[in-house]
Amino acid sequence: MFNLIKMNLYRMTRAVSTWVLVIVIAAFGMLQFGTLKLMMDDPFNMFDGAGTSLIGTETMTGTDTVSTFLQNSNILIIVSIFIVIFANAEQKSGFDKNIIGITKHRWKHTLARWISAVIGMTALLIIGYFVMFALCALFLNSFTIGSVTAILRSAGLMYIGMIAFSGLFFFFTTLFKSSAGGIVASLIVSLGILNLIEMLLDLLTKKFISNPRFVPSDFCLDNVVMSFKHASAGTKTILGFVALCLVYLVLTIGGSMLLQQRRDVK
Amino acid sequence: MEDYILETENITKKYGAIVAVDHVSIRLKRGEIYGIIGRNGAGKTTLLKMLAGLARPTEGSFRIFGESEKKTAKLRDRIGVLIESPGLIPNMSAMENMRIQALMLGMNDDAFLKELLNDVGLGEVGKMPAKRFSMGMKQRLGIAIALAGHPDLLLLDEPINGLDPQGIVEIRELIERLNKERNITIMISSHILEELSKIATRYGILHHGQLIDEFTHKELLRRCSERIELRPSDPTRAVTVIETMGIRDYKVIDNNIIQIFERLDDSGEIVLELAKNNIKTLNIAVKNEALEDYYLSLTGEGGTVR
Repeated sequence: MFNLIKMNLYRMTRAVSTWVLVIVIAAFGMLQFGTLKLMMDDPFNMFDGAGTSLIGTETMTGTDTVSTFLQNSNILIIVSIFIVIFANAEQKSGFDKNIIGITKHRWKHTLARWISAVIGMTALLIIGYFVMFALCALFLNSFTIGSVTAILRSAGLMYIGMIAFSGLFFFFTTLFKSSAGGIVASLIVSLGILNLIEMLLDLLTKKFISNPRFVPSDFCLDNVVMSFKHASAGTKTILGFVALCLVYLVLTIGGSMLLQQRRDVK
Repeated sequence: MEDYILETENITKKYGAIVAVDHVSIRLKRGEIYGIIGRNGAGKTTLLKMLAGLARPTEGSFRIFGESEKKTAKLRDRIGVLIESPGLIPNMSAMENMRIQALMLGMNDDAFLKELLNDVGLGEVGKMPAKRFSMGMKQRLGIAIALAGHPDLLLLDEPINGLDPQGIVEIRELIERLNKERNITIMISSHILEELSKIATRYGILHHGQLIDEFTHKELLRRCSERIELRPSDPTRAVTVIETMGIRDYKVIDNNIIQIFERLDDSGEIVLELAKNNIKTLNIAVKNEALEDYYLSLTGEGGTVR
């Protein structure tokens, strides 16, 4: 397994797409900082009455930067592109035919590839977040780091959500066996198109199930992660959030491993 | 017991109603170069994919290195594989592509990888990305990657496909060298019988997924060599007459056709001698079949085999 991860990381660090995405995420970090600064300064009174929580805010904390950076659908798009390209590269080039047949357990390839993808995704998120965080610390007069524990707590919870998303994107790519299929499915999630379907599902459920506490979208990963109030969530909510992420992760990675183990290599 | 490196027992692969490989049983001895010949779509790639662990047989079983399929999992790193086109990471150099394979196998020996690249004639390509390689270079790199794990068995699917004549010669020489110098057993598929006839020691003809014939290199030469082919009214007695004429190099096929490989100018004398013994000659011809004609006579079809 360790050899497989090493192999994948070697491939990742030499892929052009990886470095392109490093630049993209760094640029995204800058863009996020620019948007924040614009919203806080609001020199043209653009956000008057927009109800944005940051308008009129005297200070911005490190915890705010976590939610601004990680709870943004654009970050999901970048992550999904990275996961899909990386997960599909071996199959696209045909390199998988050189290696899959000669290993004892094929599913190990899938697991190793996903672990490597998560390592890559983590590095990308750190780079993007660091760029935004550093720019905030340097150029926002009202910026205070705040509680490091609170930052780590928020970042940790959102990171768990991102890992769950990585499993979902990885599964789509394995299932469709193509970058196009994987990206389309991932974009449907990232762009919030799935939210519409979830809303319809909620309405239908309300009509047919009398229990008002059962809301299907509460179990949909995109809805839960992207709207999670990590800074104020209680222990029970946090445990529910982590459990849901884990369930998605087990299902998607387990499913991907099973597909790899059972399916013929084309 | 024979030292078989690979044995298949009625191995079959079905895709829905389509039978890609149909109850194929092959035995491959250590040190052999086994050529699988068949048209496009005959089932060559599917057969090799099953042996390479890339596809699961629908029926039948196989043994590799004397172990059953389930136990071969841990022996699989002794197999080198080049299926269809070589799987290369296009933006990486030859050495980097080799390193990926080596890392997976837990190897960290750049000197050995360099030696392999030299062996396949890619020692001087430097950092040129694989996407800029010619087809021949890609095939050679594919073979080098397959050799990275010191394999005892090499499965090569159409390695000369798309190569120019010079490239074909280079790959052929490389395969012969690997077989002789490293004692690697090789199973190689092609639809070009002419080319395989120059390297393989044994052949299997795959047609519509079925193994319709198997023969050695010596047999192939004999089957394609010049001969008198006659159909007597009484084959059993005709054989006795032929032997009394001192002819020893002959063969009876399908119980009624006699192939004679010597005294090719004496067909008139043979017919006369048979007639003296009240044996009618129903048909006689001097035949010299080219490899392609021989293949077509086996499959009963015209096609893309050259």
